[in-house]
Amino acid sequence: MKDSENLIDSNDFNIRYTTQSDEPYLKKWLEDPEVAKGFSFALEEERDEFLKIWMGYVRFKCSLTATYKEVPCGIATLFLMPYVKLIHQSMGYLVVDSLFRRKRVGTSLVRNLDHLAKNYFKLERLHFELFGETPLEPLLEKLNYKKLFTQQKYVKEGSSYLPRIVLEKVFKDGQ
Amino acid sequence: MVNKEINIRVSREEDANYLFSWLNDPEVLPWFPLDNVREIEDAIRIWLSYREIGAAFTICLNDIPVGMAVIYLHRYKKLRHQSLFAIILDKNFRSQGLGSKLMHHVIEAAKKNFGLEILHLEVYEGNPAKSLYQRLGFKEYGRQDCFLKEKNGIYRNKINMELEL
Repeated sequence: MKDSENLIDSNDFNIRYTTQSDEPYLKKWLEDPEVAKGFSFALEEERDEFLKIWMGYVRFKCSLTATYKEVPCGIATLFLMPYVKLIHQSMGYLVVDSLFRRKRVGTSLVRNLDHLAKNYFKLERLHFELFGETPLEPLLEKLNYKKLFTQQKYVKEGSSYLPRIVLEKVFKDGQ
Repeated sequence: MVNKEINIRVSREEDANYLFSWLNDPEVLPWFPLDNVREIEDAIRIWLSYREIGAAFTICLNDIPVGMAVIYLHRYKKLRHQSLFAIILDKNFRSQGLGSKLMHHVIEAAKKNFGLEILHLEVYEGNPAKSLYQRLGFKEYGRQDCFLKEKNGIYRNKINMELEL
């Protein structure tokens, strides 16, 4: 694979529902320190707990896995809200294998997640939260996500802080 | 307020009944992201779990609970310096300075007991409690339109506020 290759036009690329058998891949990606910077966990036990929560959504068919030659290369999931008044909106989470970045895998996953959110779960709004500067922000903006707000000093690592940036896409405006 | 003794203590299991009656009030429930008894009970279970680490508080008037607050301390290391909190007051005891007293207690506990640097809260647009938060120095940093949707189709915007301690 070449860098910047457009992988998603390949016949070997596919998007399918996530299955429990994808867990080892997600675990491996979350173990990458660079990936971990984009999430709220820091310690191993926190990461394992987060992984368990993430995989817990799989049974609701609200999680998609990108595969290349049938091997998972990224996962995007709707963290569906458990309360009646909040079920019209959700938070999305995305991770892409570092070997498959800049190949439009993330773009394809978010597009498909949008479709799933809007058409299957009838969501009206979808959010992503980012910690500090990340390549996911321009990707989401290209897909018409708008920055909602920035919560300064949300994450603290040592003596330095990172903001939490929340982006939103509106599928149906209630106002 | 004459001859009435006010005290604030860590919440107890038996305070759950008071919390349930306050949350399950049709005038109050619209200001919370809860819809039914099962959700209220679930929220109370989570709320009161924080009493075990001294982060849930009850304000009493002559030993009768009239309000409660909770600091939802983060368990994750990177987030432990900041926290979300929630507060509720018996509607019959509003505008008597009790909410303000409880809030001051929460802010002090956040700083001294838990070493927090930032407290933040979520309030729905139109909730009169917002003015109390503003008086205490909380600043709005963002809002989310249509965050909450009632069964009758009414939406409520969420306002996010924070206070650097």
